[in-house]
Amino acid sequence: MAKDKTFICVGCPLGCEVTLTINDKGDVVGFAGNKCKEGEKYVLEEYTNPVRTLTATVLTEGSSQPLLAVRTSKPILKTKLVQSMAIIAGARAKPPLKMGDVIVPNLLDTGADLVASSDLSS
Amino acid sequence: MKLKDVDVAVIGAGPAGMAAAIKAREAGAENVVIMERAEELGGLLHQCVHNGFGLLYFNQDLTGPEYGHRFIEKVMDTGIQPLLETMVVRLDEDRQIGAVNTQEGYITFKPKSIVLAMGCRERSRGALNIPGTRPSGVLTAGTAQRFVNVEGFVPGNKTVILGSGDIGMIMARRLTLEGAQVEAVVEILPYIGGLIRNEVQCLHDFEIPLFLQHTITRIHGEERVNAVTIAQVDGRRNPIAGTERTIACDTLLLSVGLIPENELSSMAGIQLDPVTGGALVDELRQTNVPGVFAGGNVLHVHDLVDNVSWESELAGESAAKFAIDGKQGKRGEIRVKAGRNIRYVVPQTISGQREATLYMRVSEPEEMVRIKVGDIMTKGVRVVKPSEMLKIELSAEILKKLKEGTKEIVVDCEKRGGK
Repeated sequence: MAKDKTFICVGCPLGCEVTLTINDKGDVVGFAGNKCKEGEKYVLEEYTNPVRTLTATVLTEGSSQPLLAVRTSKPILKTKLVQSMAIIAGARAKPPLKMGDVIVPNLLDTGADLVASSDLSS
Repeated sequence: MKLKDVDVAVIGAGPAGMAAAIKAREAGAENVVIMERAEELGGLLHQCVHNGFGLLYFNQDLTGPEYGHRFIEKVMDTGIQPLLETMVVRLDEDRQIGAVNTQEGYITFKPKSIVLAMGCRERSRGALNIPGTRPSGVLTAGTAQRFVNVEGFVPGNKTVILGSGDIGMIMARRLTLEGAQVEAVVEILPYIGGLIRNEVQCLHDFEIPLFLQHTITRIHGEERVNAVTIAQVDGRRNPIAGTERTIACDTLLLSVGLIPENELSSMAGIQLDPVTGGALVDELRQTNVPGVFAGGNVLHVHDLVDNVSWESELAGESAAKFAIDGKQGKRGEIRVKAGRNIRYVVPQTISGQREATLYMRVSEPEEMVRIKVGDIMTKGVRVVKPSEMLKIELSAEILKKLKEGTKEIVVDCEKRGGK
């Protein structure tokens, strides 16, 4: 049985609502609503492998700054964002740190590291 | 501190001030100072821990602190003198600056030129007149952002956000990730106030309810806010009786617009544009006070920091030239007027003698339009939205098409296909 799934493309300010027709094997068999080819690419990616860069803060130890801004070194699966936050909540950053230093390697086996997004001094 | 021979003084060390100061140095100004009331350079970028910065300027997806870091390093490397924890409290028409800091008390000096880069502040509850009690727990989205991202505490457990500007939507995601519940984002207009990518990645990703064409009609609670009443609005943005519903919450965030911070500008007799809230400038970003330039959100509220940096570089470069030449560049006198579906255009005047970058915003969203700059240029655009700035570059070549004695150019956003 074919079913539809709708996404909003963020490729440009148009924000097309693109509807994917998906067959019973889960394959995409049709696109509707997008006004360009880029929209198809984006929506296909959103359907098969939706990824986001996660940004957050971790608590520091031994710094006058209570928090350190962090990010994933590359985008990770959207479905892992909330689980990742649990790990980030348990992490601690100790100075001195430089922007880009790894705080949590290979976060949740995503292949992405959690890295400092600014320097941290004591 | 030697402030005798300052060429360019930049007020504010956020993204605008840093870009202006760096460019002023690069353009040959020897003695550049950057004055900042906070303890460090970078301004608001420190608390904007999310990504999406620098996609245009650096062609990279950076977080706020990462974007700031690149400019901070450059400020330090180019021999700019930073005056931190120094608040400018006075600006005179003859460019005399008065400032206070804890080291020296009150200091005054007169630089050869000035760049205004004070940025903007958030509109608060007082500007909205929301009826109801006045409990704690009602704060601006940017204040909440500072609490969560810098100071380390989440302001509440159940939050309602009024306004769908980018900061509001970004805070909706941030609070959700920190374990708080975001009950609703309420927007008075029929469309979101911020970028589409934020609607998708901040609201849809976390299934946060968005109420378009709704507003808050009452705030409830004695000590602490405990609920808000929302209602649908009609075409004139008036609440429709019978559509009210009450949402329990312990925090209300306001993301309802930004106001350029121009108290110093007014003090110096700088004329402001009632639409942008910023100074009236020409294509060099020079105000009506000779030698005083402005760039970034103090001039008009930008959509992206990348555009803030570019515009402020222009102001910085102009300020450096003014400081070096010592003479007033011919100020632009051709008025650039906002026409059909254009809310404003910056700069408000141009000389027509040199290239000009126009930034503008539309009043209403529209598809399939063209931007027409007088009769010298048209540019087709597929979609325009109030939340996204339009940038039009007028080269010296194009400006040659201007007829002698032109006093005004009207910029229109026209429908394509029709008239």
